[in-house]
Amino acid sequence: METDKVQVVVIGGGATGTGILRDLALRGIPAVLVEQGDLAHGTSSRFHGLLHSGARYAVKDKEAARECIEENMILRRIAPNCVELTGGLFVQLPEDDPQYADRWITACAEAGINCEEIDVQELIKKNPVLSPNVTRAFKVPDCAVDGFRILWGNVNSARRYGARVLTYHRVSAIHQSNGRVTGVELINQLNGQKRSVECEMVINAAGPWGGEVAAMAGLEVNVIKDKGTLVAYNHRLMSMVVNRLRPPGDGDIFVPHGTITILGTTSTTVDNPGCTKPGHNEVLELIKIGQEMVPELESYRLIRAFAGVRPLYQENSAAGGRSVTRNFALLDHRQRDGLAGMVSIVGGKFTTFRLMAEKTVDLVASQLGVNAPCRTAREPLTAPVSEELLERGKKVFGVPGAKKAAERLGDSFAQVVEQAEKNPDKGRIFCECEVVSLAEIEHAAHSGDSFTLGDIRRKTRMGMGTCQGTFCSYRILGALSGYPQFAGNHREYLTKFLQKRWKGMRPVLWGQQLREAQLSTGIYCTLFAMERMR
Amino acid sequence: MNKYTDVLIIGAGLSGLMAAAKAAELGKKVTLVAKGMGAVGLSSGCIDLWGYNLEDPNQVCQDPLAEIARLCAVNPQHPYARVQDVLEESLLFFRRVCQENGNPYLDHRGGNWLLPTALGTLRPTYLAPASMAVGDLQQVRGVLVVGFRELKDFYPDVLAANLKKSGVLQADCPLNTLMVCAGGGELTPNTLAHRLENPAVVDRIVDQIKPHLLPGAVLLLPPVLGERWDSQVAKNLAEKLGHPVYEVANIPPALPGQRLQQMLLHHVKGQGVEVVIGCTVNGARVADKRCTEVLATGAGKPIKISAKTVILATGSFLGGGLESKPGKAWESIFRLPVEIGHEKWSARDFLSMAGHLFNQMGIKVNEHLRPVDKTGEVIIENVMVTGANLAGCNHPIEKCGNGVAVASGYKAGKLAGEVGE
Ligand SMILES: Cc1cc2nc3c(=O)[nH]c(=O)nc-3n(C[C@H](O)[C@H](O)[C@H](O)COP(=O)(O)OP(=O)(O)OC[C@H]3O[C@@H](n4cnc5c(N)ncnc54)[C@H](O)[C@@H]3O)c2cc1C
Ligand SMILES: Cc1cc2nc3c(=O)[nH]c(=O)nc-3n(C[C@H](O)[C@H](O)[C@H](O)COP(=O)(O)OP(=O)(O)OC[C@H]3O[C@@H](n4cnc5c(N)ncnc54)[C@H](O)[C@@H]3O)c2cc1C
Repeated sequence: METDKVQVVVIGGGATGTGILRDLALRGIPAVLVEQGDLAHGTSSRFHGLLHSGARYAVKDKEAARECIEENMILRRIAPNCVELTGGLFVQLPEDDPQYADRWITACAEAGINCEEIDVQELIKKNPVLSPNVTRAFKVPDCAVDGFRILWGNVNSARRYGARVLTYHRVSAIHQSNGRVTGVELINQLNGQKRSVECEMVINAAGPWGGEVAAMAGLEVNVIKDKGTLVAYNHRLMSMVVNRLRPPGDGDIFVPHGTITILGTTSTTVDNPGCTKPGHNEVLELIKIGQEMVPELESYRLIRAFAGVRPLYQENSAAGGRSVTRNFALLDHRQRDGLAGMVSIVGGKFTTFRLMAEKTVDLVASQLGVNAPCRTAREPLTAPVSEELLERGKKVFGVPGAKKAAERLGDSFAQVVEQAEKNPDKGRIFCECEVVSLAEIEHAAHSGDSFTLGDIRRKTRMGMGTCQGTFCSYRILGALSGYPQFAGNHREYLTKFLQKRWKGMRPVLWGQQLREAQLSTGIYCTLFAMERMR
Repeated sequence: MNKYTDVLIIGAGLSGLMAAAKAAELGKKVTLVAKGMGAVGLSSGCIDLWGYNLEDPNQVCQDPLAEIARLCAVNPQHPYARVQDVLEESLLFFRRVCQENGNPYLDHRGGNWLLPTALGTLRPTYLAPASMAVGDLQQVRGVLVVGFRELKDFYPDVLAANLKKSGVLQADCPLNTLMVCAGGGELTPNTLAHRLENPAVVDRIVDQIKPHLLPGAVLLLPPVLGERWDSQVAKNLAEKLGHPVYEVANIPPALPGQRLQQMLLHHVKGQGVEVVIGCTVNGARVADKRCTEVLATGAGKPIKISAKTVILATGSFLGGGLESKPGKAWESIFRLPVEIGHEKWSARDFLSMAGHLFNQMGIKVNEHLRPVDKTGEVIIENVMVTGANLAGCNHPIEKCGNGVAVASGYKAGKLAGEVGE
């Protein structure tokens, strides 16, 4: 068995874990991150993509609200290519308690969140999809955030400072001796091989799996697993994030992302942290509630539904669902349970991942005797793409292709442009829906941690658009067949990819998307007879 | 605008065009309106009849006509059970029309072809255009798969790797791949097909392929060999190379299906059928179980059409013949009922061998293709339903889509032709 040695092992490749890895790396602490799937395998790719202003929490949880607005401002600064400055709205409908609005205004002011009342008539004129019954509306600094980009950004930055990442490695045991953690055991999820890593510290950033990971060290950490379903519309329904001005509930937020809009979310407690099956009934419920704000919702095309599991921390296990605090907990197991060399970070939000990482690494650094201060709030995640480079990109990828790729790739854009300049064939767009070039796909395939078409999808967004991969997955399989990791079993690669997309399409199979489903079964079954492929 | 006609066909897919061709041949005044083109243009261009054995759905069926006869006995709800009487006749008619227009369709000694696809899978089909009809792959002495640098939807290595895995070739059969250039930067299948109509471009391709030819090799190319249905590109290429050349099925856009569609359009126009594409039917008036008038819009103007017989060849959800909302499905023009049952509309596995219920949904008809309700009562007497609009077949699994369209379209055309003055 292979053995490795490193000072710190971070468990979990979500926003929290990658944020921690970057923070550790910037403070010069050698670390390796282990993730059982690809990066963003967990909740950090299955969320709403709202960079909270904090306004949603202002009434109920002022501390959370304050953290949100501070982190919101920091992320805009350090990761401009990951944040879309949409701004947000809170709208009140006649059935909503008008007194809540007044409490909310005061609470926002106390938390330091700018909120400005706007003219309702003007608003409806600009956003005609909104209900004409809106009674009051306020502007807040909500934004849309791209979870994938943040994660790759964290990891790329950490790698530049020497950190390592092992994807498709599941932690299967945490070793300890004499009240100290000594290392972890890993199982490679692709080939079943085991290896172990010796370390001084283990950081449990396993999100909804936090309880399971803690249990490996014989600890009890109570994580409530709260599943939320979301739906993606094939339109930018509105230019801003739209929230309902009432105590937080189901189905009351719309977040525009580029050309799509995500509506969510529901809330159901589940046992299995891996339970990400979006329910058909939950989808119908979401649409019903969403219609109160957007009456014509039924006539818009849905692309897919998906679900994620919120990790909610609770010290005693009584209550569940939405009433639990969204704040995070940092557990020092030396103090709490008498086990040195292990900390758990649980709960929180995507928006506050950086702060969670900072607090965690503050604690870990002090235990390791490192005094270096946190730098993640100031140092940009990626260097901005220069105008000159963007112009070069436009020549090889076209204008929309270059813009999208520059945003997705940040620092790596230069390499991809160079590839396409050297070989113009690589400038060709392979995923038309998301405008992804062959050069970018090859860049993702080269990265060393792409083993499936899904890995390439998460890195590039290929197959995430209207056609849901019907055309580009086959094409990309062909283009990548020269790579050793994709030369193998085409049937398996393609089936897995199509099946993942199918899981998201099934709960929204009506109207336009049912047509799409007939087209894709027509292609893969009628035309390719893939159901019987050997 | 008001129009009057004997037979009004709604839909320009394979079933509508077949109906038009037959009714026109029988001397009727025929009008065909459609908002767009049909699924045949997305298809391989081959006519599937029935792919696999009823008892063992993994086994390719050797005698599709006999298998369909058995099917009709065990599953009288299948559309084939409504058109069995004309099935062979309709295929002969289809082949005659193709032959006359210079786009011959070949059968494989009455059985199924087993034709390679761009993915390297094999698909059983009954009739193939001459340019696709690769004989027995078991017998070939070599295969060369040729792709075009300019095309991003065809990968010789993928085809070759999976064809090899399929086990259809002899173990020692050489299987090679080659990329050639047609020039002209990135090309779509249609622009490439257009380019290949130029003999100088074909010569350039021939020069690139020749050095790689092994004796006895069969060449497999993407479905781009020529634009029109009577194109000679595939034939010329084969002659110049001295080797047989075939197109394989590929994701749309692909030329063989488009050629068939264009050929049939050309044919029915030649038969005097009035064809209006870009015309959407929005509704109809029905009185005493008869459709008295069809309401359409074309070029922004309303059109009213009355006809003795209306043939509803509007396809399934994809074509626009059926529409749906959560938990509801209906036929889009006459609001004919579509049974949805109690089961889930889709199977958990995308590639489920049982298929998806949504592909089976459609309109129930009697043996005269008249729409019927649950009790078997005819709903509208002068309307017939054809093709993908019919309930009870599942072409992605059964491999019968164009076959059902040919037979039911033909039958509707024939029945419409028999309607008296
Ligand atoms: C429906 C929904 C909508 C949301 N919307 C928003 C929003 O709009 N804005 C916002 O700020 N927050 C939102 N959240 C909350 C936010 O998404 C999560 O708080 C955040 O993504 C959690 O990140 P994480 O890194 O802690 O967990 P995760 O992203 O789940 O990462 C944990 C990782 O650990 C890995 N792991 C687990 N066990 C092991 C093991 N044994 N070995 C190796 N690896 C392991 C998992 O595979 C996983 O990738 C939403 C949550 C949900 C469910
Ligand atoms: C991707 C794909 C590949 C396939 N491959 C094969 C294959 O290789 N072999 C095979 O045998 N089968 C194949 N099939 C199945 C087969 O092509 C179809 O089942 C068949 O062509 C259906 O023909 P149709 O005429 O019934 O309907 P369609 O082809 O769907 O035609 C419907 C017509 O009605 C028109 N229309 C609809 N509503 C209105 C309206 N309100 N007003 C006016 N016009 C209207 C449409 O515009 C269209 O012209 C494939 C199907 C798909 C989707």
